[in-house]
Amino acid sequence: MKKKWRWPLAGFVLGALVGATVLTVNVVGASAPEPVPMRAGGFGEILHTPALLARAHKPVELSYDVVCGALKDAPGSHCAPSGSVFVRPVGASTFVRLPLHEDDGLLSAVVPAAAVSVGFDYYVVMDNGRRRTARLPAAGAEAPQHVWALRDWTTVDVGAARFGRTRTPSAVVGGISWGRGDAAVGLDSGREQSRIGPSAFDVAPDGSVVLLDQVNHRLTALRGGRTVHVPIEFSGGEGDLAVGADGTVYVLDAATRPMVRAFTPAGSSIAATPLAEKTADMIRVGPSGPLVHSYPSEMWLPTGAGRPPFVPGRQLASAQPFRSVADGDGVVVRASPSEVKLALVHGDRVVRAWLLHGESSFGEVQLAEPYGDGMLAVVRLWDEHHAEFRVLRLGPEGLLESFDVTPAEWAESGSLSRFRLRGNALYQLRSGPSGVEIAKFQIGGTT
Amino acid sequence: MRRGLATGLLAGLVLGLLVIGTPAGAYHTHFQYGCNDTFYNHDPVTRADARDYAYIAAAEGYQWAGGCWNGNNVDDSPGDPVEDPHTLGEGGDCSGFTFKSWWERAETGDPWFRYHAWMQNVHGPYSAADFKAGVGAANVTVAKASTTYMDAFAASNHIGMIYWANTSFNQDRIIEAKCEACGTGTWPRTYRGNPDYSGVRRLYWAG
Repeated sequence: MKKKWRWPLAGFVLGALVGATVLTVNVVGASAPEPVPMRAGGFGEILHTPALLARAHKPVELSYDVVCGALKDAPGSHCAPSGSVFVRPVGASTFVRLPLHEDDGLLSAVVPAAAVSVGFDYYVVMDNGRRRTARLPAAGAEAPQHVWALRDWTTVDVGAARFGRTRTPSAVVGGISWGRGDAAVGLDSGREQSRIGPSAFDVAPDGSVVLLDQVNHRLTALRGGRTVHVPIEFSGGEGDLAVGADGTVYVLDAATRPMVRAFTPAGSSIAATPLAEKTADMIRVGPSGPLVHSYPSEMWLPTGAGRPPFVPGRQLASAQPFRSVADGDGVVVRASPSEVKLALVHGDRVVRAWLLHGESSFGEVQLAEPYGDGMLAVVRLWDEHHAEFRVLRLGPEGLLESFDVTPAEWAESGSLSRFRLRGNALYQLRSGPSGVEIAKFQIGGTT
Repeated sequence: MRRGLATGLLAGLVLGLLVIGTPAGAYHTHFQYGCNDTFYNHDPVTRADARDYAYIAAAEGYQWAGGCWNGNNVDDSPGDPVEDPHTLGEGGDCSGFTFKSWWERAETGDPWFRYHAWMQNVHGPYSAADFKAGVGAANVTVAKASTTYMDAFAASNHIGMIYWANTSFNQDRIIEAKCEACGTGTWPRTYRGNPDYSGVRRLYWAG
């Protein structure tokens, strides 16, 4: 070997060894199994569907279940929860305790008709039998759940489902294929997992349709045939989106620790805050800023329009059982497979209420928005093999207009994020094997 | 001499980083290295027991073909490529999570119960499509309208169990291993009214 190569070769071998050693140490260190931290025996979770709207002068049964936090990773029996509901009729200053009794596997208490006739606030305090207690709603008496007394309502028979007889949209916005490029929207699919498309959309004040393309971590604005993408921070798999009157885009990032993020129309981050509860499905813009419908309380949590946004404690303390809309009114929804109750409320007073029934099973209420002197609602009708959405324009005297819309839900979106109402136009997020589109339906006319 | 040594050192370092670093860049958390094969046959089991068990996996990860989680409320292997079992990440996939949460046995003709430790790395023999068809001695299809908590809604590519039925907007809260970015958790869903989904039940609950 020539002498002049000796030192470079020695350096080369030494360098290779150093590089390989450093990387190997780091990789092995990062890959080594961690000690297994076991979850401390937390409370678990209180499960409850709020009553919200009840016929006056009839008792109301409040029912709860409890999911128990684990004590250890081994077979064991369900915990033995117990608790009480605290009830305060409208006009009263103090809460009255009603012990919960086991009834058909649930813990229940019956609120007497006298309290129901005026409406009442309530919250529950639960002990899981393992020396852990919890309240629902979490702020207890400070921000309780509420039941409005229905004395007068408009009954609407929506009839039977008419699967396949759906209205053609008056216009279609978008028409974007699946993918990651500039002319595409993200699809997260594979074996043994959900097929997830854009979670949500909204219509901005300038008429743009803004899509939450969370799969590609971006917002997509559609206007006049142009598609504009803006990258955003997003950590979960799904979420929701609402655009404020000033163009601010509020995004619910429904990750395992949900976040609410605010962006300018250009996509610059304004603020972000963790949500007080660990599950949420909707974000909407109320008169004072964004509101998030969260679980297990099923309350609407304000997260604040400004910077800094509300911290979790303030969200819980100012939670409301209704969704605030204009003029101090609120929208309240309570649905079951056999009946849908919708109400516009003002404080403790019911301004107007509708009870929907029909021959088909009701699914979820996708949309309920004040419209004129009534409400526009979109509900799912379904049987074991079919589904459709029925659009209902409700007036003070009853049904003014209805038509059916095909679900077009090939890819999953946020569960209650498929429709938005702007002015006299109803927009629907649709998906199919080739991509997504936004269908537009003009509201007005006859049934 | 010094210049020669320095040049060689630099070249060797670059080569070492490239040769070892390129495959190392594909490394993952290898969470499953810490998993085990612990299980107990057990009886009786209630729906409430099964929901308590499933709840532990909420906020943990999702791993295609995976099956173990540690209950620390963190996805310890976020962002793995999808459909790759070699990433060895935390969590189950939708069907594996259902299999463990329903305390099923790997022997498809045996309908009785088996407790799988959270950290037991087992997926079970069923896909979402199998559950949708009611495959296995423990499983049957049921009308969606008659389902109750810890029954499931299954499509050909996904399955989730009912955590709490009938929210105020008439959704179901579903507990499911959803996707890599989603992890495992409880979310309100509209599977009940979606024709892609069928009702599925695990038999022989004690209550």
